Amino acid sequence: MALAAVAAAAEAAVAVAAVSIAPPGSMPVDRFGLGWRPELAPGILSHLDQIDALEIIAEDHFEASRTALRSLRRLAAQLPVVWHGVSLGLASMSPVAEARLDRIARLLDATGAEGWSEHLAFVRAGGIEIGHLAAPPRSPESLDGACANLTRARRITGSMPQVENIATLIEPPASPLGEPEWVSGIVEGVGAAPLLLDLHNLYANAVNAGIEPFAFLRRFPLNRVRSVHLAGGRWIHGPNGTARLLDDHLHAVPPIVFALLTELGRLAPQPLTVIVERDGAYPPIAALLAELATARRALAAGRRLAATAAQAAA
Amino acid sequence: MSSPALEAFLARLYTDAALLAEFLERPQQTAIASNLDAGSVAALLQVDRDALIIAARSFAAKRAAQLPPGAQRRTSWLARWFARNSPAPPG
Repeated sequence: MALAAVAAAAEAAVAVAAVSIAPPGSMPVDRFGLGWRPELAPGILSHLDQIDALEIIAEDHFEASRTALRSLRRLAAQLPVVWHGVSLGLASMSPVAEARLDRIARLLDATGAEGWSEHLAFVRAGGIEIGHLAAPPRSPESLDGACANLTRARRITGSMPQVENIATLIEPPASPLGEPEWVSGIVEGVGAAPLLLDLHNLYANAVNAGIEPFAFLRRFPLNRVRSVHLAGGRWIHGPNGTARLLDDHLHAVPPIVFALLTELGRLAPQPLTVIVERDGAYPPIAALLAELATARRALAAGRRLAATAAQAAA
Repeated sequence: MSSPALEAFLARLYTDAALLAEFLERPQQTAIASNLDAGSVAALLQVDRDALIIAARSFAAKRAAQLPPGAQRRTSWLARWFARNSPAPPG
């Protein structure tokens, strides 16, 4: 199968890169962390020496007491924390509600987190809550709507969120723009918004659409990437046997996603914060820390490839 | 062409099993009846129907997972509808 060949080639690329000799100096300072979940809290807190950053779901703390917020502030004082929104619906032609943005602003103010992020998705329309992240039509109209919502978000919260590409099981209808071009248009349309690039979402969308994932990666505005998500998923099937890769955050990060991280490290010289996400079927913390270690090696391999190429060109 | 009306129609397709069934049976009539413009109707006629069913099932599962156990029992008609109208994914 073609995908297996791609995965094998990607793993081989990581292996080759990992054994190349790193030239000294000038490596960006990358960070590696986990998504904070209550189930993982004991493991995270007892291994802070191996974790550079945390990402916390904002909606889980919208109703947090002052005491809880003080605890989160203490946590944010120990290591960098970013709030991660999952329900604003920024990529919509409808304006995001000010009350939702006020809640983000409250969390930012109360905890001293270094920033926040949210998805380029719509989650409600016409008074209906979809219950998850949905891809809007990738059109000039939705691009303008997303830019308007991001401008509004920056005004109300005081900071521009990092914007994340989402996984979708269906190519949204009425989409004259490709996903990378649509994301680029939004990022540049609001004056260089920072991009949170989810590499499993990117991989899933590529294989679901029949696109070669490394070529797909290179179409995104990689110079705007500030953070990276890594996760896993599984194959599901439709009524007629159609297969789709579901980004479920319940499985280990697959090797090809680490290979995409290597390629990103080769192409994007700026410092990156890499977060491993897990939303259930939690393995022992050691397994997640091992994934972080693999991510460190994968990104470092890409950095070395870039440095070697730069030396050769000099 | 896309519009808030098309976003709303997609939200209904992803959450309303009866509307989805109607759309799969009679896509053009269902879209026109929802007062969508001609461009949106034409785009919807090109949609990957298998992927639409998979997406709707995934959204239904996400919603069910977010509800407390009692609420899951009360709203499981949607999951039952999908189970009746499409085979379960393997694994």
